[in-house]
Amino acid sequence: MDGSAEVLALVGVGILLTALYLQAESFVDPLIRGIAVQSLLLAVLLGWLAWTTRSVDLAILAGLAVAVRAGLIPYVLRRQIRAFRWRMRELHAAHRVTGHALAAVALAIIAWFVFQQTLASIFPQPGAALPFVLLVEGLLMLATRSNTIVQVIGYLEEENAVVYAGALFAQGFPLFVEVVVFLDVLGVVLVAVILSIQRDVTGTPEEAALEELAG
Amino acid sequence: MIDLGDPFWLFVLLTAPAAAAVLALIPFTEVSHAVARTGAVLAFVAAAVLLATGGSGRWGPYLGLDPLSEVFLLMVTGVYATSIWYSRGYLQHVRRPFLTPQVYYALLSAFAFSMIAVLVVTDLGLMWIGVEATTVASALLIVLERRPASVEAAWRYTLVASAGLTIALFALLLLYISTGTLDGFALAANPPAATLPVEMAVALALVGYGTKVGLFPMHTWLPDAHSEAPSPVSGMFSGVLLPTALYAFLRVYRVLPSPAPAVITDLMLAFGIVTALVAAFLIQRQRSFKRLLAYSSMEVMGLAVIGIAIGGVALYGALILLVAHAFAKSAAFYCGGNVLRATGTNRIDEVRNLRATMPATGLAWVLSAAAVTGAPPFGTFLGELLIVVGALAVGEVWVAGVVVVAILVAFLGVNSQIGGMVFGEAAPDARPLADAADTGWGFAYLNVGVALAIGVAALPYLSSALRAAAMLLGGSLP
Repeated sequence: MDGSAEVLALVGVGILLTALYLQAESFVDPLIRGIAVQSLLLAVLLGWLAWTTRSVDLAILAGLAVAVRAGLIPYVLRRQIRAFRWRMRELHAAHRVTGHALAAVALAIIAWFVFQQTLASIFPQPGAALPFVLLVEGLLMLATRSNTIVQVIGYLEEENAVVYAGALFAQGFPLFVEVVVFLDVLGVVLVAVILSIQRDVTGTPEEAALEELAG
Repeated sequence: MIDLGDPFWLFVLLTAPAAAAVLALIPFTEVSHAVARTGAVLAFVAAAVLLATGGSGRWGPYLGLDPLSEVFLLMVTGVYATSIWYSRGYLQHVRRPFLTPQVYYALLSAFAFSMIAVLVVTDLGLMWIGVEATTVASALLIVLERRPASVEAAWRYTLVASAGLTIALFALLLLYISTGTLDGFALAANPPAATLPVEMAVALALVGYGTKVGLFPMHTWLPDAHSEAPSPVSGMFSGVLLPTALYAFLRVYRVLPSPAPAVITDLMLAFGIVTALVAAFLIQRQRSFKRLLAYSSMEVMGLAVIGIAIGGVALYGALILLVAHAFAKSAAFYCGGNVLRATGTNRIDEVRNLRATMPATGLAWVLSAAAVTGAPPFGTFLGELLIVVGALAVGEVWVAGVVVVAILVAFLGVNSQIGGMVFGEAAPDARPLADAADTGWGFAYLNVGVALAIGVAALPYLSSALRAAAMLLGGSLP
């Protein structure tokens, strides 16, 4: 493995570890810090790829990852926490995080295995399975958590997986920068607008507290 | 494929809703109403002209039309126009709305623009952006009536739909890596070999876009969003948003060589069958009439996916079903909006005797309920019949049987419950009706009439375009 591949693999493993950490945490503030760290690691990876391939697009993406994913969105989320102390801990999922963590490890292994069996020959890059594992981890978080802020974090993790995969495999993917900018805008809209409406109208962070919508 | 010689109507189609989205923000409510209505009608006229003149072809590197997109454009702009016109009366009843009429019209026009954009672009990446834009434009519309439940519905819609679309983006990445392009028209003209990555891309696109189509088990946002959104928006969600997401999948599906690999069609059949059956049985236990209609839409989307997977005449039936259902379902939601305005409740058991209290809306609702569930001679009946015949023609007897079961169960569930609301005797303590709520039903009759005309083939341009669209997708005609 050459030096560049080692850097990519090392940062990739760091991203995977943050994903597993997020699954095992029920306090919201550390979760926000965790997704910020994951986004920073992604920015390092993008910056390294931009440097080695002399790609302006990837350099822009690295800057966006630092500014929006590691900076702006975590900042807005933490403001929500400070304004409403009861958002500090995920109420209903607190007793289940051990199960989440075990499921996350199991899913990571399964996703890795499936990738090796199906797509490894097509994507020979080092750490090529990591974006797919990250996508599965993000989906797991979205599916199993009830706190709205934690769901945002799961969604951001999914977005990180897409950016990771795009940077690793599909350089030259048309409109990739535009797509990522669009996703970032959507992320900011998600956080800033809907959480504010929820605060004004319902005063509760837990989706599960609203029981009218059975089905 | 030829270039579009005169792109005037394509220009009108795109700029009318975009301009309406901006100009509707003018701080005079009457002007906003007029601008929104004008934009919607212009877009519909443009779509109708493009369909009638058969202006297929490409315009520049990113825009293009073919019979499939023209059929969907007529459907989207038709429902958009009637929803905008119906909105005025509906907005007057909303107390303490979260959005001003100006912002409501701006968002509704932007929502329509994003759907139209999905239908006129040739690049699958741009198409994905368009589908994602529909989420951004429509999420805030759900919270118009400022209920806690509507906030949750908007939240779930945004999060679940966006999560699904992230998977669709993964699919496009795989497709690009495999083919080196995302030009949907070029890929359809020269399909790549059905390698494992291409098949995986199509499968992931089915899951990703299927989330927005409302396929089980990714459908969780659908009943909440449809039931909590204002009725004109629900009409657009059920009638045209779900088919637009299905269109985006169809464009990815088209890159496969014909006939499509069995692994893909089997996967589609599995999703379609489970969705149709689950929705048909969930219809039976609904207490809210808007959720009832939402699950009915889910059932229809399941049937459409089954028809597309089977191909041949069933594919033609699926397209007819989608178009007729769009008009019929929007009509049903307009009627539901009137009932909600009049009674202040969306609970089925609290509404009775509409035949006497709201005769015009009551009759329109019975007709639209019959139309959405495939009663003859509506277009939905023709579409569902062709799906069953198509399944039998290729020897898929058990699929035909499952489709018939889903259709019958959904038919009984929807019509018995809505029939009870219209013809059932009112309880002595029934809620008094609000005055002047029995309005706007003309748009319901108009759209039910379109669904009927599709069934009796009284729309010659649309019928021929539907045939051409089916042929384009590899279908065959009866």
